[in-house]
Amino acid sequence: MDATDGAAVLARARQGDSEAFQTLVERHSRRAFQLAFRITGNEQDAEDVVQESFIRAYRQLGRFEARAHFSTWLHRIVANCSVDLIRSRRARYDHASTDDLGSLDQPEADGPNPERLAASAQIERRVASAMSELSPLERTAFALRHYEGRSIAEIGKTLGLGTSATKHSVFRAVRKLRAALEPLRGES
Amino acid sequence: MTHYSEEDLILYYYEERPRTGGIQQHLDSCEPCAAAYRELASTLRMVSTPEAPERGEQYGLELWQRIRHQLPEQEMPWWSAWLRADRLAIAGAFGVLLLAAFVAGRWWSAGHAPAPAVASTEATAPRTAAQNDESRQRILLTSVADHLDRSERVLTEIMNTPAGGDISAEQRWAEDLVNTSRLYRQDATDAGEQSVALVLDELERSLLEIVHTPSRTTAAHLDEIRRRIDAASLLFKVRVLGDGLRQRERQDASRPRALATHTS
Repeated sequence: MDATDGAAVLARARQGDSEAFQTLVERHSRRAFQLAFRITGNEQDAEDVVQESFIRAYRQLGRFEARAHFSTWLHRIVANCSVDLIRSRRARYDHASTDDLGSLDQPEADGPNPERLAASAQIERRVASAMSELSPLERTAFALRHYEGRSIAEIGKTLGLGTSATKHSVFRAVRKLRAALEPLRGES
Repeated sequence: MTHYSEEDLILYYYEERPRTGGIQQHLDSCEPCAAAYRELASTLRMVSTPEAPERGEQYGLELWQRIRHQLPEQEMPWWSAWLRADRLAIAGAFGVLLLAAFVAGRWWSAGHAPAPAVASTEATAPRTAAQNDESRQRILLTSVADHLDRSERVLTEIMNTPAGGDISAEQRWAEDLVNTSRLYRQDATDAGEQSVALVLDELERSLLEIVHTPSRTTAAHLDEIRRRIDAASLLFKVRVLGDGLRQRERQDASRPRALATHTS
């Protein structure tokens, strides 16, 4: 996408041009979905987050500062919508069975080794289960740090947290994951 | 020899430490720290990035079809209301009238005694001060509404924390918010926003209580904090006030030059 073209589309969208906003949705939705999926760990939840994020983005487009990147701003909204959704569905996560969680994010096997596959599936299940035990903020902060490679400072800005609170959300997430994965470490 | 903590090693793993050279040197020479780091790194490497289900080229279009009829009205910044064509036309007409009045005044005063210059200065000065107050009030509304959103989150986290959980992250977060809250409360008092100041005062107390609770909470500690939050209906008040402030922001945006006459 040409930068000038992008700025023009954004300017039109900010003036309420729905066609221009449609262009933004088409350009940014796949990446937004990927981010939402990494944070929520669930396809349907990620869909809900993306939908809500674009609706929120449209409502708040007037507040968007043109000098910032639209994608950065949108990702901030996606992360916060994810926090809200995880929080509101906490009860469901709390009661999800390990089998349900195991069905999430199963990677494709790259070889026919059944032992390796089984070990990998077991790790995936443990990770999914441990992730579901994290608080919404821990989970989001960890996903942004570990999966998305965002810095602590960026995560703090995204979630409206101070640096210290952000670090501690990540530390706690790592500690909980370590505790959950410790028994499997030798098998990895 | 000083060893590195788990937190240091986590930051090092994520390349967050500014002086990674120092820690690397230490890990080269300190076996216990090197072992701890290897263990941490091997566990974190087990957490692979989830593969998001593929979304095709048409995904954006499909999404657009789903949301296009749900799009709400855009919240416009206060200044944008002045950029609407009809308002620009009114402003232009007003400008022409002002210019005509100025020219007529000059022409009229050429044949009469000049009006004392100080009179016009006195007339414009209060208006400028009023406009400044109005902008300050707008900024205060936005900032306090954002602050309340963040506070609502930390309170909700505390309400949902399981007994025996570690609340140190929430405590640091609450500590940041206490400091900000004090400043906003003072600003709100100065601006005559007594109801805002009162809620901020109650919020500050609960945040302080969270800050001073042991990080590893017992069920009793949590119950005590939650009971006080519930007793004061704090979450409810924070939500209602936040919504109210956003509403006022929007109202101010729709009549930008009117002097803010808020009830508090």
